[in-house]
Amino acid sequence: MLAPMEIPVETLRRLARLGGFAWTDAELEAIRPGVQRLLETLERLETLPLDGVEPTTQYRLL
Amino acid sequence: MSDLVWLSMAELGHMISTKEISPLEVVRAHLDRIAALDGGLRAFITVCADGALQAARAAETDLMAGKVAGPLHGVPWAPKDLYATKGIRTTGGSKILAESIPSEDATVVSRLSRAGAVVLGKLNMHEFAYGPEGLNAHYGDARNPWDRNAHRIAGGSSSGSGVAVAAGLAPGSLGSDTGGSIRIPASLCGITGLKPTYGRVSRAGVLPLSWSMDHVGPMTRTARDCALILGAIAGYDPADPTTSVLPVPDYAAALGGEVRGLRVGLLRAHFTDVAAPEVRAAIEAAARRLELAGAVVDEVNLTQVIHVAAASSAIVASEAVAYHAGWMRARAQDYQPDVRERLRIGAFVSGAHYVRAQQARALVRREVDDALAKRDVLLAPATPIAAPAVGERDTTLGDGPSDVRSALIRLTRPFNFSGHPCCAAPCGFTAGGLPIGLQVVGRPFDEATVLRVVDAYQRLTDWHTRRPEPA
Repeated sequence: MLAPMEIPVETLRRLARLGGFAWTDAELEAIRPGVQRLLETLERLETLPLDGVEPTTQYRLL
Repeated sequence: MSDLVWLSMAELGHMISTKEISPLEVVRAHLDRIAALDGGLRAFITVCADGALQAARAAETDLMAGKVAGPLHGVPWAPKDLYATKGIRTTGGSKILAESIPSEDATVVSRLSRAGAVVLGKLNMHEFAYGPEGLNAHYGDARNPWDRNAHRIAGGSSSGSGVAVAAGLAPGSLGSDTGGSIRIPASLCGITGLKPTYGRVSRAGVLPLSWSMDHVGPMTRTARDCALILGAIAGYDPADPTTSVLPVPDYAAALGGEVRGLRVGLLRAHFTDVAAPEVRAAIEAAARRLELAGAVVDEVNLTQVIHVAAASSAIVASEAVAYHAGWMRARAQDYQPDVRERLRIGAFVSGAHYVRAQQARALVRREVDDALAKRDVLLAPATPIAAPAVGERDTTLGDGPSDVRSALIRLTRPFNFSGHPCCAAPCGFTAGGLPIGLQVVGRPFDEATVLRVVDAYQRLTDWHTRRPEPA
């Protein structure tokens, strides 16, 4: 697992635009710590033994 | 103030059907209490006094003609304001939908109307159900009725439901639960709240937060009342493709039994052991009380739940952004600040993260299923802390410091992730007089056993009969 890097606002701006969001630098700067924390949390998913595990959203319904 | 407001839905329904009291009398008593107290409690976003009185008169006319729709005939209730109600605004606790008036009822609302229940109004909530504190910048913060002096959170997102039921403004409600939004306010307000199995109850006509994590269910003062409501709303709905076609049992008829011989697993690591000392002591006492009544109690550890925070964050954030994207572009300034920030952060979750999180779901579900293969139910705290004051950001749990928001959802969210049914109910009070809630978890589609355990516990104890004295 790679050590989490600090995300520049420039990267956030590009990613946000890909998602269709035209947020200002000030708006992106405000959420940057939260995005950083979220991505660090999501890194943990990379360590799970999920090979061969099907994604699940609900019980098999009769 | 009328004592009618403290009767359970089961008692009200029985007394109405035997003509000891009239639906009109019952609805008026609740409307009077709402008028007297809701200015301070802020449980309601919209009060439907005229509609409620009209429906109560119709219920009375039917009753006099010998037509009783069922055990909820003429009994008042109030939904969280994210259930579509025909002709009544449905705001989702937002400014964005402040003037939105649905043309149809949500499936569960129409099922309760068909069962004869009467809508008193629509209840406050965290905006768009996206927050466990239950705070609302647009309609005012619901106030926990258990502290007359400090403004404490009611818990969310179904905060108005917790407050209205605890304070006697409504005997029952429907909340929604994506990470604990039924069980957290039930725990913090001292009431009983059931999150059914994913697929047991239709979500059609309910504003979504996260399609694969959202559950809808009853919030009342007793397990019996939860059983009555669940019996009326559960079952397949062609308008919600995730609903199960499994038959709906008579949940109320399954109550009243003993717990002798029932196998109860007390969840230790990551659950009871991380709770604040008073909460931990209350849960251990509840386990001992069930054991004294003949249940076989052992201890169990779920290890895979350490992945729940990351995986469920990926799922909820992604699904919430998918639903809100249009408004996030066009009306961002109309969200309350914490919800806007949460939505924006969620836009950075990748598709790969989302799918990986849904894979992790299988691991956690399998572990909970395995624990329940040897036991009938699992027992844990619903929340690791009692109601914090509004503005309190940090707390300390058994395994160290935590922010309040993470602490509130920590013990409930695993079962949104896994989909298992759970019921929260009061099991004690802190030295400061705040309710403590336990959580009973059952096998998929076995709400009957979950409710049976909580009902038995409520017949052994009187925590659920304590009443707050709101200012």
